[in-house]
Amino acid sequence: MKRRQFIQGSLAIGATATFGGITGCGAKSTEPQTPIPFKAGRPIPWVNWAGNQSCMPKWRHAPASEDELVEVLKSAKGNVRAVGAGHSFSAVVPTDDTLISTDLLSGLVSHNDHKLQATLKAGTRLNACGPILESIGQAFPNMPDMDYPSLGGALANSVHATGVDFKSMSGYIEGLKLATINGDLLECSKTKNPEIFQAAKTHIGSLGVVTEYTLQNQESFDITEVNSIEPLEYVFENMDALCKQNRHFECYLIPYSSECITVSTNFAKPRDKNVGEDDPQAVNTLRSVFEKTSWLPFVGEDLYGFALSKALAAEAATIRTGPSHKVFPHARIVRFREMEYTVPAELGVACGREIMETIKKKKLPLSFPIEFRYVKGDDIWLSMFEGQDGCSISIHQYGDLDYKKIFAEIEPIFWKYSGRPHWGKIHTMKAPQLANLYSRHWQDFHEVRKSLDSQGKFMNAHLKDIFGA
Amino acid sequence: MPWVAALLLGMVSSATAQPNQRQIQLFANNCLQCHAAPHTGAPQLGNQEDWQDIIDQGEETILKHVVEGIRGMPPLGYCSACDEQDLRQLIYLVTGMPESTQPMGESL
Repeated sequence: MKRRQFIQGSLAIGATATFGGITGCGAKSTEPQTPIPFKAGRPIPWVNWAGNQSCMPKWRHAPASEDELVEVLKSAKGNVRAVGAGHSFSAVVPTDDTLISTDLLSGLVSHNDHKLQATLKAGTRLNACGPILESIGQAFPNMPDMDYPSLGGALANSVHATGVDFKSMSGYIEGLKLATINGDLLECSKTKNPEIFQAAKTHIGSLGVVTEYTLQNQESFDITEVNSIEPLEYVFENMDALCKQNRHFECYLIPYSSECITVSTNFAKPRDKNVGEDDPQAVNTLRSVFEKTSWLPFVGEDLYGFALSKALAAEAATIRTGPSHKVFPHARIVRFREMEYTVPAELGVACGREIMETIKKKKLPLSFPIEFRYVKGDDIWLSMFEGQDGCSISIHQYGDLDYKKIFAEIEPIFWKYSGRPHWGKIHTMKAPQLANLYSRHWQDFHEVRKSLDSQGKFMNAHLKDIFGA
Repeated sequence: MPWVAALLLGMVSSATAQPNQRQIQLFANNCLQCHAAPHTGAPQLGNQEDWQDIIDQGEETILKHVVEGIRGMPPLGYCSACDEQDLRQLIYLVTGMPESTQPMGESL
């Protein structure tokens, strides 16, 4: 039985009510998700995965080689942005001038069996990287829980997974090739253009277009992921131990519930077997139950929390085992918008507690689980993990519901804990605050940026906001 | 993914879709992420039962849904590189529907 079916059965508490005043939700899941209606024969808009960012570029390019890309860049008009899978929630992509897709710059360039390194073109989707690397006996040491982004998009924004011993994906870059607005192709590594290399490992697309990355991998391996329901307080109290006991550990905090979902992932053992099924629609079930109960005057949220906790507590674990590139990622087919901040690791639990208390105290209409992960620190100038181990906390709201009010209530909590926003996710921070959060290398980064793009061709409106250019 | 190439060769030879190399690469990069992955719940490539209701809606409606996104499918089907001609070819490839004789760009 899938978890969704179980929860539906357990929570059949006669709640057949219509939607109430809390969420104000009436949108059907079959509605188009774009902010720009399309008619055949008219220009096709660009829209991101979440449907909250869009633009109508005058010039669109999809170069199939570095040479083509260089020619595009040398003659590019106006503001120039590159796009991979379009999975960012923040406005890092939109431009009304020149949009360059890296879709056709994909595949394996070369590999080194001795060093366990591979060079991949930047447009390669993460879900293609896994099988490619497996074919040469390699694997990423760690992977995010969804694999739709392109390598270039992921690495430009320090995309990460979870695991106290693992850096963000950008932390495994050994070399890269950068195409600049002047048409130069720069080889960058610790020994070649080292300052540009350090800046380009997390550059939010502001230095140019990276065409390929050389990554430090490891021998391919199998893992087993165990999803369990555990008391939230137990998990908070034992967070350090749980993180150390498991190669990867994360949890999903469920608003209004005293239970949480834990995900513990380790090297697979010979007798590990799949148990249960991954259910990509599970969050829709939570939403449905929340909407059917939370509107009840005075008792709604408490009733939801009580019933949910009872239902979840009786759930058995689900287990997924197999090659790492097949087990780390999960299907993501429910549209949502996301805000994520990384706070210093030692402040993670306190920040998580305050968020949960705030949701309950202010009766925020939020049922989407909150993701809670740990990432090892690094020395990348604009990485969210620069100089410190981090706890990344992600707030989601369904794609057809208003997220702004909820995010506005929670975002100041992250600021209180010195949180750094994920570059590819929703936040409202501007250059002055960000400069303080990245005080060690903010100027270093912008000196490199200006040396490569003196006219600011890669700076769209959003980048001007966050960089103050 | 050798099976992808084999699958594509089989499809292209048996159906009316006439994709070029670029469109085949876009198809592999974007469409197959979900339409060759049963756990996503998306209609699956080569499974006629999954597609008939969709094909019955007609090419123009399908194109509109692809560009705007619908249910689990994101806007543009993830394909930021695709123009309208690309998307039409990808629709023929994914659904197995015959290539339209309507003039391209006919509005709804």
